[in-house]
Parts: sequence; structure tokens; C-alpha cells
Amino acid sequence: MFLEDCVVLENNKISDSYYLLKLKGEKSISSAKPGQFYMLQCKNESTLLRRPISLHYINKEKQIIEFYYEVKGKGTNEFKNIKPGENINLQGPLGTGFNTDIENKNIVIIGGGMGMAPMKFLTEALSPKNNVTFICGGRNKESMNILDNFNLENIKTIITTDDGSLGIKGNVTIPLLETLKNKNIYKIYTCGPQIMMKHIMNIAKKNNILCEVSLEERMGCGVGACVGCSILTKEGMKKVCKDGPVFDSKIIIND
Amino acid sequence: MNKLNVNFLGINFDNPILTSSGCFGFGLEYKDYFNPNELGGIVLKGLTLEPRTGNIGTRIAETPSGILNCVGLENPGIDVLEKEIIPNLKKQGINTKIIVNINGSTVEQYVEIAKRVNEIKEIDMVELNISCPNVKDGGMAFGANPEVAGKTTREVRKVLNKPLIVKLSPNVTNIVEIAKIVEENGADAISMINTLLGMRIDINKGTPILGNTFGGLSGPAVRPVAVRMVYQVAQNVNIPIVGMGGINSWEDAVEFIMAGATMVSIGTGIFPNPLLPLEVKEGLNNYCIKNNLKNLQDIKGIAFKK
Ligand SMILES: Cc1cc2nc3c(=O)[nH]c(=O)nc-3n(C[C@H](O)[C@H](O)[C@H](O)COP(=O)(O)OP(=O)(O)OC[C@H]3O[C@@H](n4cnc5c(N)ncnc54)[C@H](O)[C@@H]3O)c2cc1C
Ligand SMILES: Cc1cc2nc3c(=O)[nH]c(=O)nc-3n(C[C@H](O)[C@H](O)[C@H](O)COP(=O)(O)O)c2cc1C
Ligand code: FES
Repeated sequence: MFLEDCVVLENNKISDSYYLLKLKGEKSISSAKPGQFYMLQCKNESTLLRRPISLHYINKEKQIIEFYYEVKGKGTNEFKNIKPGENINLQGPLGTGFNTDIENKNIVIIGGGMGMAPMKFLTEALSPKNNVTFICGGRNKESMNILDNFNLENIKTIITTDDGSLGIKGNVTIPLLETLKNKNIYKIYTCGPQIMMKHIMNIAKKNNILCEVSLEERMGCGVGACVGCSILTKEGMKKVCKDGPVFDSKIIIND
Repeated sequence: MNKLNVNFLGINFDNPILTSSGCFGFGLEYKDYFNPNELGGIVLKGLTLEPRTGNIGTRIAETPSGILNCVGLENPGIDVLEKEIIPNLKKQGINTKIIVNINGSTVEQYVEIAKRVNEIKEIDMVELNISCPNVKDGGMAFGANPEVAGKTTREVRKVLNKPLIVKLSPNVTNIVEIAKIVEENGADAISMINTLLGMRIDINKGTPILGNTFGGLSGPAVRPVAVRMVYQVAQNVNIPIVGMGGINSWEDAVEFIMAGATMVSIGTGIFPNPLLPLEVKEGLNNYCIKNNLKNLQDIKGIAFKK
């Protein structure tokens, strides 16, 4: 875990309120894994807390670190206005990421909405050694613009949108069930809206498939010091910032 | 010469900087950012006899220059402290002062946990938390009622063989009255302030944001209230004060000391800036040099002495 002032290289609008932020980083990059996150500092002093944002992608050679974020409230509105050349202070990498230590398996990765954020790094980490199906869900065609930033060679990519403007009309469970019918899937990795992950965890359980989910919770410290982000799991209280944000779905209470 | 060095309750502290209960975990969470031994001492997360899961639902909400929290004393209980946490702190080379923050739902529970703490020799001091706003069955109720505050202090003092700091709640009409009562009943020091009771409402849902409806406000937003209370209490008691509430810079720490605090404690401020304790330490030292102070304590309480 490091604290580092990083220079902004790019901060571009991808679709309505979604932005891609590219920073030059050194220390913060060295050990980062897919599914980990960073706490990004706000400059306005009255915006006290840092904002947790998932690692979108890291290019270790070029020392570039990428974040994909949605403008929602005070903090992300501030991020939106940061210009190339300015600095932003990162704290991280934090938390335990996805377990990518697997080979020669059929895998499904599902990103819904903002949950697409950690999936660029994850798909690239898993695809060389595994057979990856990547299911992306979003509101409309625009919400899939971020895929231009992905490297999806050798990855079977399926898109669903709520309005049907791109790919399958409907939600991600439709192609997921279809995929399960045709292939013997070893593991599902997912991040997205709570309701989506709830359905996916149920499907994984019914089909006896391993499943890792990335959760969100309000955070104070991001390092396990304030227990502000604790959730009750089947194995007792767990801190989303430290024990997660990625959890084995087996321990998540899903009712 | 160390200008920050301070004798607090007969124990020599390298500097007056503590980290506040609930904001610094169990002492090791920030070790990647700085060596905890740089601190004067660490106040551990509030402990109870039995493990507690705390409150459900959202526990943190940001407010202008502050945060509301309703953690509700989630902690692993005294057994885990004794058998795992303290030995691990020592194994990791932590040799700064360790202060344990104790909590209960009845006077008997406070007494019981105090007895258990006696047995743990690595613990230097005890902070008696009679001011947690986030638990229904105790906490603030102990700190808001002068009689109960006095009794709890007295009973714990009887059994405890370590220095006793009593932590006061700001959610009272007359803080000086409570401070005097805990002093009369054997408190060796007072720490203040705990969080101020507050709430936020989600205007899209029309419901409280926090899982526990109310939460405790901390951070720079509460600092003027905290400084005022330290200033009032310092003039009316003869025991030392640990001042806290919204310290975000060395200048803030100086305010607390000028208001009469012997020690200062950093809580919420460490979340946005994990290096804050080091910055405060350096700033205080430079302040002493610049103002030709032999020791930082020379300015203690000057705001009312002048
Ligand atoms: C582990 C993790 C990874 C995340 N990754 C991303 C990402 O890659 N891209 C992205 O756009 N968003 C991500 N989020 C959500 C993001 O943190 C919030 O959208 C953001 O904090 C909102 O801040 P704000 O100031 O714009 O909103 P405000 O509503 O003004 O924020 C007020 C407070 O609530 C907190 N908060 C608000 N919404 C959330 C939320 N959904 N989750 C956690 N805290 C919240 C803020 O951090 C802040 O402390 C992630 C959250 C977590 C916990
Ligand atoms: C997340 C959080 C948890 C806290 N937990 C405790 C606790 O367990 N015991 C206690 O005495 N005070 C607790 N406090 C209060 C702090 O120790 C401190 O008194 C208060 O936050 C004011 O200082 P600050 O503004 O510097 O944070 C907690 C505060 C926060 C923000
Ligand atoms: S955010 Fe503080 S413990 Fe997780």
C-alpha cells in the first residue's frame, strides 16, 4: 500500500456520465492485482473522505494506471474536472482482488454497469491461460463505449442492454444461462449492481459453480482501521476494504 | 533535546500525539504508511467483554468537513485482544504506549473488563468510554448522567491498577459538571470529545442514511466545539486532558494545547491523510523551535492563563 501523487495523463468522457482517467504512477502500480481498488483523494477540504475506485487497468511497462468512473456526487464531480498535467493523490492498491491463479478452465466474467470497471484487467489476466466468456450488461449502446478500451482478443464477448440498442435485449442472466447449457463452466467472476450479483450467485449455487463477487460498501479508511465497511457474512463480520472487496460467493448471505 | 516529550500520568511519552479509538484499528492497519512507534501512543478500538458485530446497514456518511459513523462498537472481544492482538503487536515490534478503550452495558461489565485488562501487562493505560453514541444499551447513557458517570468511574477505579482516562461525551448540557464528577470519583485524566450525535437523510428515498438512524459526528466540523469544551474543562479540573475532535493539522493540535490539553489525539483526520500524525509531530516540533520553547507543554492552557 502506497500514497502517491500521480500526474493525470488523460481524463476523458466515455459516455453520458462515465469517464476514463489515466494516470502516471510508479509505486502504486508495482504490486496491483485485478479487483483491487484505490482511495482517490478529493482536493476540496470539506469533502473529507477519499473515494474508493476499482483498478480498471495497469500498464506496468508504461507505468500507466487507469480508472473508469461514473460521476455521481461531490467527489466524482471533482474528479471529472481534473485536467491533464494536474495531480491526484492515490492510496493503494487496497483490498484483496480476484483470484487469478487458475489455468485451462472455462470461465465466465460478468460486468454490469459500473461493474465493468475491474473487468479490463481481469479479462486480460485470465484470458491467456483460460477459455473466457465475457458477458457485459449496460443500459444502452452508449454504456458499452468503454469496450473500445478493452483488449478482447480470444475472449468470447456477449453484450446485453436494457433497451436492446446493442446486443441482447435484457439482462446478463440470459446469456449466462445459455453459456452454462453449452459449456462446463468452472468459475464465474462478477461485479455489478447488487440485484444482478444476487441472481448470479443463485445461478452459481444451483449449478455448483465457483463464484467470486466484488462488493461495494461505504468506506471511511479503506485499510481496515474504522470498521465502517463491515458486512455480516456466513463467516462472521468481514471488512469489504480489507477482506474484500472480492469475496467467495459461498460466504455471502444472499437472501 | 526532545521538545515534545511529556510526562502523562507518571509515564514518559515521546510526544503528545495519540491516535483515537476507532480510527486506528488495533495499531497495525497503517503500518505500511508509517511506523506506529513514531506516535506517543495508540488508543485501540473500543473493546467489550464479548465480541460484538456492531450495527447493520450503512455505517459511514460524509457531511461537510466531517463524517457520521454508527459502527456500534464492532470488536472481537477481550479474549482475542489478550490472546492474539496484544501478542501480535509485540511481535511486530510495537513499543509505543498502548491504551485500551473499554466499554460495557452495565457497571458490572465495565468492572469485569477492567479486571481483565489488569492481567495484560503490555497495556499501559485504560480509556473508559462512557460516551459512545452508537450503542443502545449503554454508551452515552453513562456519560450523559452525572450520577452514573461518577459511579462507573468509581467502580472501575477501585479494581483497576493502571492509569485511568475517562472519555467524555459532548452530548451533554454541562460538560464541566461531568468532568468534575469523574475527577472526584478517581479519574486520572479526561479525554474529550467523543462524537456529537447527528443524522442525515437520503432525500431520494426519504429515509435516514445510516443503518442506526443516528450516528456520531467527527472531523473538522466538530473542532470548535471540542476546543471550547477542553478550554472550559481545563479551567475546572486538576487532572490532565487528552484533547481531540477534528485535528487535521499541527495548528489544530496547538489550539487544543493552548486550550489546556496535555495530549492530543488524531481520529478521523487520518482517513484522508494517513501521514497526518507524522505531519503533526514535525509541525509541533518546528513550532517549538520557532517560538523558542523548551517544551511544547510551556504553552499548555495559555489561552486562559493570559
Ligand atoms: C471497492 C469499491 C470499488 C469501486 N469502484 C468504482 C469504480 O471503479 N468506478 C466508479 O465509478 N465507482 C466505483 N465505486 C463506487 C464509488 O466509490 C462511488 O460512486 C463514489 O465514492 C461516489 O462518490 P461521490 O463523491 O461522487 O458521491 P457522494 O454521494 O457525494 O459520496 C458521498 C460519500 O458516499 C460514498 N459513496 C457514495 N456512493 C458509494 C458507493 N456506491 N460505494 C461506496 N461508497 C459510496 C462516497 O465515497 C462518499 O464517502 C467503488 C466502490 C467501492 C466500495
Ligand atoms: C469510525 C469511528 C469509530 C469510533 N470508535 C470509537 C470507539 O470505539 N471508542 C471511542 O471511545 N471513540 C470512538 N470514536 C470517537 C473517536 O475516538 C474521537 O473521539 C472522535 O472521532 C473525535 O475525534 P476526530 O474528530 O479526530 O475523529 C470513533 C470515531 C470514528 C470516526
Ligand atoms: S473502510 Fe475502514 S475498515 Fe473498511
